[in-house]
Amino acid sequence: MQPSAAILIVDDHDGFRTFARSMLEAAGFTVAEATTGAEATDAARTIRPGLVLLDIQLPDFDGFEVARRLAAAPAPAPVVVLTSTREARDYGGRIAASPAAGFLPKDQLSGAALRRFLARDAP
Amino acid sequence: MSRRRLAALVAGAIAAAGSLAWSGWPPLSDYLPILICYEVIGMSFLVAGIAAWMRWPASRLGLLFTIVGYLYLVPYILVNLANPVAFTIGNLSEGLYGAALAHLGLAWPTGRLRSRFERGVIIAEYVTGVGFGLAGMMFWNPAFIGCNASCPANVLLIGAGSRSAWNAANTISGSVELVLTGIVLALIVRHWRSARGWSRQAMVPLVWIGVAIGAEQILTGNLLLLPLSGLVSFGLAPLVLLAGPALFVISTVRARTAGGALGAAIVDLEPGAAPGRLRDALARALGDSTLQLAFRQPDGMGYLDTAGQVVEVARLDPGRALMPVTGSDEAVLVYDEGLKLEPQLIRLTAAAASMALEHTRLQAEVQAQLEQVRASRERIVEAGDAERRRLERDLHDGAQQRLVTLSLALAMARDQAASADPALGSLIESASKEAREALTELRELARGIHPAVLTETGLTGAIQALVERSPVATTVIAVPDGRFPTAIEATAYFVVSEALANVAKHAMASGAEVTIRKRPGRLVVEVSDDGAGGARTEKGSGLRGLADRVASAGGVLRVDSPPGSGTRLEADIPCP
Repeated sequence: MQPSAAILIVDDHDGFRTFARSMLEAAGFTVAEATTGAEATDAARTIRPGLVLLDIQLPDFDGFEVARRLAAAPAPAPVVVLTSTREARDYGGRIAASPAAGFLPKDQLSGAALRRFLARDAP
Repeated sequence: MSRRRLAALVAGAIAAAGSLAWSGWPPLSDYLPILICYEVIGMSFLVAGIAAWMRWPASRLGLLFTIVGYLYLVPYILVNLANPVAFTIGNLSEGLYGAALAHLGLAWPTGRLRSRFERGVIIAEYVTGVGFGLAGMMFWNPAFIGCNASCPANVLLIGAGSRSAWNAANTISGSVELVLTGIVLALIVRHWRSARGWSRQAMVPLVWIGVAIGAEQILTGNLLLLPLSGLVSFGLAPLVLLAGPALFVISTVRARTAGGALGAAIVDLEPGAAPGRLRDALARALGDSTLQLAFRQPDGMGYLDTAGQVVEVARLDPGRALMPVTGSDEAVLVYDEGLKLEPQLIRLTAAAASMALEHTRLQAEVQAQLEQVRASRERIVEAGDAERRRLERDLHDGAQQRLVTLSLALAMARDQAASADPALGSLIESASKEAREALTELRELARGIHPAVLTETGLTGAIQALVERSPVATTVIAVPDGRFPTAIEATAYFVVSEALANVAKHAMASGAEVTIRKRPGRLVVEVSDDGAGGARTEKGSGLRGLADRVASAGGVLRVDSPPGSGTRLEADIPCP
């Protein structure tokens, strides 16, 4: 368990954020929210989350662009997990080409799944 | 046949019969060959005259031919009537046909004399002909030519006549005739030199015929008095005059030939040829190099011909005539006035021009309509694509999103219930499973409506995704990187998608290959398999719809599918 890890949920869909927050808080995470790409980069700078759960479809830039900006920010960069209601194959090679740690379909979100990403990226 | 022509015909027949009269001198053995020559020459002019009258009812040319014929034959009838008055008139008028011939030559080809000077020359021809005839007859005793008792008396003869006075009158009349003939020939040459187009060509035979007849008149005339036998002077040499009727025959043949050539010219003209080419073809066929095809300018600023020259339709240049192109008040033909003689030919030309212009117009119209249909088909397909993209996005933003949230809620509920109430936990677990399956089905449905991967990544990712899902082992040989216009990407994607679906359903193939290559100006999509072959676009399969889809993007779908040798499908799509 790494209860100290803060998760930043970036999604413009209120319902998803609400449920995801409850689920992740129940799983012991500290959760912050952002609804746009711009908010996400700001929040990442101030909150310094351990993981960013990043929806690909955002109202300003898409998740790939946000992931690129987060990766380009001064270290340490958070673990970025892209997410979508679509499946990974709907994005072809774009997910593999992005600096994100991986992709998690929204319906498969769980504390355990995020922990696996955190463990994999742990130094 | 009009009454006038009938009268001309009857008079001609009487003249022909009358000219067979023979007075008994000179002896028939000498006279018969001369008589036959006269008959042939005179009748030729009469026949040409009547024919010309019928062919060119509005022109005087027929009348002039007929007058030449009468003036040629009648004096000989009169001379042979064994009547002193008729004999005298016949003898004094025997050269008058030359004046009518000069008249015909100067009036060619319009039938009208061109100036007062020319009218003066022709009047002088007739007046001197009659005047010198009278003067000669006053001194001419038939006995001078050995006709004593067999000839009727010369009623104008003064006393026993005077050979020297007669000779003097002949010399003077011969000189005057020579001058007048020279003037007429010079005028004809001038007409030829100033004529253009149709008229110039019509003048060419006349110049040669004029020279030949002029030479004949001088050689057998009263001035030179060459020692020619009667047969040569009165019979053989005058046969040159047959060139006169030949002129009519030549011009008739020319008009007929031009009529035929017009038809051929229109047939040979490539469809949609420019008006300039149409004019050239018509001018060539018609034999009028001056022909102009002029169009009314849209701004009402008059007419311009195909060479860009302004055509004053209300004030044509002298020697020009105008004919509107049939069925179009937009176009007119301006042609050489000489062609007025052949109204049928001009009407034919106008009709031919009209047909060709109409053909070109219709073709342009059909082209424009085709272009409209093509563009609207493209718009319909693009609108359909846009609608499918919108539907997919709506599903993604709406129902899919809600199902995801529902799944998460159920997962949380299950986790919370599981420890307290295992039965409730398992109930929630099955509800959660249902929700996930619904989400999977909805994703498949959305992907079928429009593949998000195509919007997201273009052809590279989308084709890869298709290949990965294909139940038949499929290799991507090449897909160009980069993005293309949405409609082209969608078309290429649907070609591969439909082709792979067909491979899976019908081909019984063990493998397939997908190749997309960018060529200059186009994108070539190729899908081939090693299956059973025998696919055809006509069979009403999905291939027909695919061919339509490719055509809507302006492309072509080719299917090569020999039975037993696999199927190769190639879409050639225009692409910037």
